[in-house]
Amino acid sequence: MKASRQMFWFLASVGVFVVLLAGWQALADARLLPRAFFPGPDLTWRALQRGLASGDMLQDTFTTLRRLALGWALASVIGVGLGAIVGTSAWARAWVAPMFEALRPLPASAIAPVVMLLLGLTDAMILTLIAFGALWPMLLTTVHGFSSIHPRRLEVAQSLGLSRVELIWKIALPGALPDIMSGLRLGLTVALILVVVGEMITVQGGLGSSILLAARAFNAPGIFAGIAVLGVIGLVTNAFFAWVEKYALRWQRR
Amino acid sequence: MTKVMGPADGSGLLQIQSACVSFGAVEVLAGVDLELRKGEFVCVIGPSGSGKTTLLRLLAGLLPPTSGSVTFRGKAHTKPSRDVAIVFQDYANALLPWRTAEANVSLALEAAGVPRAQRPARIRELLNKVGLGNSTQKYPTEMSGGMQQRLQIARCLAQEPDVLLMDEPFGALDAMTRQKLQDEVLAIVAESSVTAFFVTHDLEEAIYLGDRIIALEPNPGRVCRVFDVNLPRPRNQLSTREMPEFLRLRRELFDFIQQFEQ
Repeated sequence: MKASRQMFWFLASVGVFVVLLAGWQALADARLLPRAFFPGPDLTWRALQRGLASGDMLQDTFTTLRRLALGWALASVIGVGLGAIVGTSAWARAWVAPMFEALRPLPASAIAPVVMLLLGLTDAMILTLIAFGALWPMLLTTVHGFSSIHPRRLEVAQSLGLSRVELIWKIALPGALPDIMSGLRLGLTVALILVVVGEMITVQGGLGSSILLAARAFNAPGIFAGIAVLGVIGLVTNAFFAWVEKYALRWQRR
Repeated sequence: MTKVMGPADGSGLLQIQSACVSFGAVEVLAGVDLELRKGEFVCVIGPSGSGKTTLLRLLAGLLPPTSGSVTFRGKAHTKPSRDVAIVFQDYANALLPWRTAEANVSLALEAAGVPRAQRPARIRELLNKVGLGNSTQKYPTEMSGGMQQRLQIARCLAQEPDVLLMDEPFGALDAMTRQKLQDEVLAIVAESSVTAFFVTHDLEEAIYLGDRIIALEPNPGRVCRVFDVNLPRPRNQLSTREMPEFLRLRRELFDFIQQFEQ
């Protein structure tokens, strides 16, 4: 009963996707815009096939995925690490948290030129850009998670005689995990945006640079093909993360 | 109002001497003397605002007295000790929801440095003792309130405490579960000869469980009277509660608490 209902809604949302795709095709076929600027799914698909056949598309995809993973991992290590330190210490919170609030609303894309001046058109520049932007959601959720341990749990830890390290490892960290996970996931979305921005600036391979180059060559299907692959990356990474989260937080769902 | 209990004479396992506790300008406890003797079951009753929980926190070492002293085995008791276990009323907050029943009990063993190889057998034994032998893999959120409180008790027993402090442990449970758990706690205490200190607002519960009942009066909290419970053990939910002595104490405690009702 429940499974069939889930199946129904899954098919229904696939249906919405198909309708959107068909609408896009119909719009393209109506030639309201020149076909060269606004290709339908058919031309996009053909561009995608060409790109995959030549191997360029696959290479760009891997390059982008690699930068995405590295930049996101860098942000996670800094964000969760720093968040744990700040979150577990009241004076560190009072001391540095206001600065977080000042830096957090800065659009990471605005600091791209600064990073470019410092690091040049390199991978390091892209990774730094991702790390700076994706850091904030991770840092703030981690601080929140660590600073909102229920006082009763601290008393239990005291009563059982847990050491400070044990308290952080066995009580604070698992308790903060739901917050940390949502921060990591938010950070992933930001990282995907910034990897494309970074690649469009450096133009050293990757889907961002391939989209930019396709635009310069008035190759609209190439642009759309790049966007489609980015969409799939977003979808797959998010689904993977949802699965990891579901497993790590399985105690919450019962 | 007669003060029955004099200053502690130093023979107690855990004792409080002329302790006062103030939070800012508010005096919560004033000049409390109390002595827990080894193996006895002491219940505490009193109207709200009489400092029952504050008294328990003093004994736990979670709260230092503003003046006066708390001593455990003759030494100053200024911070929580593994030998003094605490059963909190809010079991949901006291348990770790991300750990199974088994792993929650394990936490106490891990803290005490029990070698990994010895833990499973100890855990099994403790969970069997509180009747959770079939729920070792369950998460707290999958358990009823009564089961969660049993689990917290099992974790406290894993500390192998000399003193078991309980802060209205059954306050959130329904009447049937409450009676069952009362009997289970009595059995556990009888078997392990642990010293028990039990805060409750249920007068009959205090009589049913205790060897002694300490009645606190409010504003500020003080020991007002001490009632000795001369009821035979083991106690029985039906026959004990029908005994004349039980009914006499019930009357006395009721009259005592009544005077503070507005």
